[in-house]
Amino acid sequence: MSETPNGPAGPAGPGNPGTPPPAGDQGQGTTTQGGVPAGKKEAGRDRDLASWLPTVVDSIAAVVLALVVGAVLIMFSTPRVVESLSYFFSYPWDFFKFSGEAIWDGYRALISGSVGSGTAWTRTLERAAPLICAGLGVSLAFRAGMFNIGAQGQILLGALVGGFIGFHYDLPAGIHLLAALAGALVAGGLWGAIAGVLKARTGAHEVITTIMLNYVGRFTMLYFLGKEALQRPDSDNLLSPPVDDSAAYPTIGGVHLGVLLAVVAALFVWWLLERSTLGFEMRAVGANPDAARTAGMSVARVYVLAMTLAGVLAGLAATMTVLGRQDSLTDQVAGTVGFDAITVALLGRTTPLGTVLAGLLFGALSAGGLSMQGAAGVPPELTQVLQALIVLFVAAPALVRGIFRLRGQGRKADVMATGW
Amino acid sequence: MKLEIKGLTKRFGSFTANDHIDLTVEPGEIHCLLGENGAGKSTLMNMLYGLLDPTEGEIVADGTPVTFATPGEAIDAGIGMVHQHFMLVPVFTVAENVMLGREQTRGAGVLDRRAASRLVRELSDRYGLAVDPDALVEDLPVGVQQRVEILKALANDAKVLILDEPTAVLTPQEIDELMGIMRGLKEQGTSIIFITHKLREVKAIGDRISVIRRGKVVGTAQPSASEAELAELMVGRSVQLTVDKAAPTAGDVVLEARHVSVVDPRGHLVVKDVSFEARGGEVLGIAGVQGNGQTELIKSLLGLVRPDAGQIFVEGRDISRHGPRQSLEEGIGYVPEDRSHDGFVGSFSVRENLVLDLFRNDEFSRGPVLRRDAIEANARHRIEEFDIRTETMETPVASLSGGNQQKVVVAREFSRPLKVLIASQPTRGVDVGSIEFIHKRIVAERDRGTAVIIVSTELDEIYALSDRIAVMYDGRIVGTVDPSIPREEIGLMMAGASTPAAANGGAA
Amino acid sequence: MKKTARMAMVAGLVALSLTACGERDSEESASDPTSSAPTSEATSEAPSEQFPDFKACIVSDSGGFDDKSFNQTSYAGLTKAAEDYGVQTAEVESNAPSEFGDNINEMVQQGCNSITTVGFLLGDATEAAAKKNKDIDFSIVDFAYEKPQPNVKGLTFNTAEPSFLAGYLAAAKSETGTVGTFGGVNIPTVTIFMNGFYQGVQKYNEDEGADVQVIGWNPETQEGSFTNDFENKTLGQSTAEEMITQGADVIFPVAGPAGLGGLQAAQDNDVKAIWVDTDGCESAAEYCDVLLTSVVKAMDVAVEQAILESAQGTFSSELYEGTLENEGVGLAPFGPEADIDDELASKIDELKQQIIDGEITVE
Repeated sequence: MSETPNGPAGPAGPGNPGTPPPAGDQGQGTTTQGGVPAGKKEAGRDRDLASWLPTVVDSIAAVVLALVVGAVLIMFSTPRVVESLSYFFSYPWDFFKFSGEAIWDGYRALISGSVGSGTAWTRTLERAAPLICAGLGVSLAFRAGMFNIGAQGQILLGALVGGFIGFHYDLPAGIHLLAALAGALVAGGLWGAIAGVLKARTGAHEVITTIMLNYVGRFTMLYFLGKEALQRPDSDNLLSPPVDDSAAYPTIGGVHLGVLLAVVAALFVWWLLERSTLGFEMRAVGANPDAARTAGMSVARVYVLAMTLAGVLAGLAATMTVLGRQDSLTDQVAGTVGFDAITVALLGRTTPLGTVLAGLLFGALSAGGLSMQGAAGVPPELTQVLQALIVLFVAAPALVRGIFRLRGQGRKADVMATGW
Repeated sequence: MKLEIKGLTKRFGSFTANDHIDLTVEPGEIHCLLGENGAGKSTLMNMLYGLLDPTEGEIVADGTPVTFATPGEAIDAGIGMVHQHFMLVPVFTVAENVMLGREQTRGAGVLDRRAASRLVRELSDRYGLAVDPDALVEDLPVGVQQRVEILKALANDAKVLILDEPTAVLTPQEIDELMGIMRGLKEQGTSIIFITHKLREVKAIGDRISVIRRGKVVGTAQPSASEAELAELMVGRSVQLTVDKAAPTAGDVVLEARHVSVVDPRGHLVVKDVSFEARGGEVLGIAGVQGNGQTELIKSLLGLVRPDAGQIFVEGRDISRHGPRQSLEEGIGYVPEDRSHDGFVGSFSVRENLVLDLFRNDEFSRGPVLRRDAIEANARHRIEEFDIRTETMETPVASLSGGNQQKVVVAREFSRPLKVLIASQPTRGVDVGSIEFIHKRIVAERDRGTAVIIVSTELDEIYALSDRIAVMYDGRIVGTVDPSIPREEIGLMMAGASTPAAANGGAA
Repeated sequence: MKKTARMAMVAGLVALSLTACGERDSEESASDPTSSAPTSEATSEAPSEQFPDFKACIVSDSGGFDDKSFNQTSYAGLTKAAEDYGVQTAEVESNAPSEFGDNINEMVQQGCNSITTVGFLLGDATEAAAKKNKDIDFSIVDFAYEKPQPNVKGLTFNTAEPSFLAGYLAAAKSETGTVGTFGGVNIPTVTIFMNGFYQGVQKYNEDEGADVQVIGWNPETQEGSFTNDFENKTLGQSTAEEMITQGADVIFPVAGPAGLGGLQAAQDNDVKAIWVDTDGCESAAEYCDVLLTSVVKAMDVAVEQAILESAQGTFSSELYEGTLENEGVGLAPFGPEADIDDELASKIDELKQQIIDGEITVE
């Protein structure tokens, strides 16, 4: 071509004076785009700030919306507000006064319980840390094209092995911690790898296998909790001793070391996805496995590695409770972290930064929700309702996409543009 | 029916897909809508067919403004559409397919198959369609299936028939037959909107030609206009339609396939004992109607599918057990037939896609770490060299036009030393300007001594590029011929005829 | 669920309330919401000692206060204390073991005078909080410390005693000569029921020269049938179905909500069952027709008692053990279709008295 004045840097838009861009510029390109306008945002995610903006706005809007609905629920779960309705027409002011007070009390407790004091911050951060780690695992697998429902089982296995090393062996301080940490990571990683290998070798769908592995994980935990070696001396309860102090995370600046490790994990995942060859392959396989295979990537290897790393991250999440808070092993030691992690990852648009922010939000809601219960007498279900509402408002599309495995919008738009 | 489109506009957000389009289709007219992929033809037709709501403007049928909220309303108004991809139930008969959705019943919900059969036969006779109403659709050739689609529309009393790229799936003979049918319909008073980007076809059949470029009607032309004029109107500048190329200097055999057979996942033998050679400095064109084994054959060349029998050699080394990665490292360049399916990652940026199969090289990574600066420099360089029209190198490839998407794939595959270049449908869905460019690059690669294999269903492209033409039909190479052979003869071979005259023309 | 339902119900009531143009209650109830409901009752009943400045609090384990099991019953003790003694209350539900410590601390910060924790899983967290907050009285349901802190009271229940009676009853009512029991998880608070039940059956065999078999529990090996899950009703049902297939015609499920599956199986196969923890004819009324009786663990009574002691200043760390004697445990009234003749009923009463008198020891 003789005329190529439209360098990549130049604004190639229709308004460019001098050389009108010939056919095939982005004006046409966006025809494909036009079919699914929302797609552009997704395709350009985390690439530049501008494309992030609407999603940030979406997320904030969702939080605000959820808080509004939450306020209504607080109102009507407060007995005296409801009572005041029965004489609303005689003393309407009561209703508004009581409602206002109930909402004010509730949300003030939410704020002060999550960020209002040093203790509150500690609580928020320590609750966010496992969510972030497990959420990163879900995000990572998601970016590699897998919907990892198995964080729960991976956490349980990580907790089992990490905890066992932590209380059963007698090792010098630093080494003991490292051994327990390594045990948790390896166990979680292996548990995750099972689903990866099954998918790579046999094509077994990871949603099915990870769900099943959650069950297996739980019964594995129960089985071992029934063994003398894991129970407290002179006790038949399914409850292990806590890990030794030598295996516990030291406390730094009011929070245990695990919180710092969660941040490191987030940085690592970001680096892996955005800066490493493996991450490049993972993202390619996740976005278009056929193209990745054609480009010589081993899709099977990526599946196995991605699930292994997801499991390692879940194992790290397990250490937050077992080594961080020195919780005893029980069959409930994972709480609902493994499942909340899925929501956290989707809410965070499966990016490392988003996952960290979503994890912090959920940590704060959990910590603040406790104060709402305790101080303002708001039913504990409200915290969960708030979380559910936020997810409903913001992450439902992501969830749907994840489950139905819709490819990038380019494909879908092609169908619109040429198929019809 | 006289159909008028007045100032029809469709915007998606800030992007205007159709900008005040005015168009009049007279009764009994074949109105060609010519435009490149992405010019806005489909958007326009989707509005006509009730699939999209216009942002502005109106549709007037016989003087009455109409609006269609659903395709059903459009059908009721007498608009019929034949999609590029057929919407037929393969295991139903022709008559059942035609009746689908408007079943006639006799009393207690019993389907009146006989009435359906009668109607199909009647319509088929009236318009000269020659379709057996009782044949199963899956047994019919593609061309006949298309006639079933046309019958469906006619059964709904379509006065205006929209044919969306109807020739893409047909053999040259079938295209001739389709044109005969279109003329027949026209004589009966049916208006036809014929959407295509093939200049030859509009000239052959059109009464009037409207050219759409970037969402606007940029002009109307008579069929007497030259192809060059039409191309210029369509692209917006003058275009060279033929590729200048010197005579080939065929060198040694670089790639050789020996008795390759491939069974597809459903257990059908789709490539049957295929043997051929590709020489350095020569373009081997593989012609054939879509679905005759070409796809599987070239996939086996790259190692995306393992050949179930036979061997493939590159410079004498057996690569038939290689996976894609080893084949790429062996020096095979690969432009897949469906680029959005396996040619690029749509959500990846141009920069990333340009190294999709190169990032392992020392140039672009050091150990596990990607070398961003090198990748960016590469992107800058390729975007300029291949004239990829993109806002920035960070733009997702999915939002580029088809031609620029293809340029990304081509640029990537051409940016490393190749022994063999395999390009399947290298210009499908690519605008004329980019076709010209891609063809030039392919010829340049040949002149560098690379063995080039082009798979295309477009005879024009095969003729433009090939030094030898192998024709595939039903999984076999029915003959290898010289490009001097007339189109009709190749057309016959594409339909399965293996003429001795044709077979003598080539080397294989 | 209970509260969610409450919220929903309350929202629904709004519409009704808006149409009813009522009058405001007394000034007192409008300004003091916590005591609005109970006051009328409290005043109508016999005047009991009131502690309006005393704050009693409770922390659940991860089952939540709506678990139809020990969290719920314990919580009922707290609400009863509010009704009877006018104490203020606060509660926190736990979602995961990692929250236990935080949750107890939250209650400490809310100025609670007594904190009840529910379940052995909270043992460590409760002890830790007790060490730090000497001025607060703690009580913990279903847990006993080796060396309790001076301000922690364990609330335990010798459910083996009523289970013994239940076992005797089951053996007496069995026509096939086989009775079955299964547990949620193999932990002491569960197996104590099964041990007692087994012994009761043996007692019947001894007295009557019968040979009624117990399936699902072997006291020698301390092994038996467990669903390994307190929530999964289906598991409970299939476990019970299995036992019924083996000939059991009285089922004794000790598996919390999962045990409801056992009742379902009994109902489907027209055999009898015995419920645990609460009176099944109240908490699971739809199965009342298959119940012979229920082994009741009066956690609400124990919790209320502990709160009262704390409020009165008579709190001690001495372990509370619910027995037949102090009525901390017992059998619920026989089911309406249990068909217990007077002879058997008086035999059960007799056995009960023998246990109270120490003539029979149940381990």
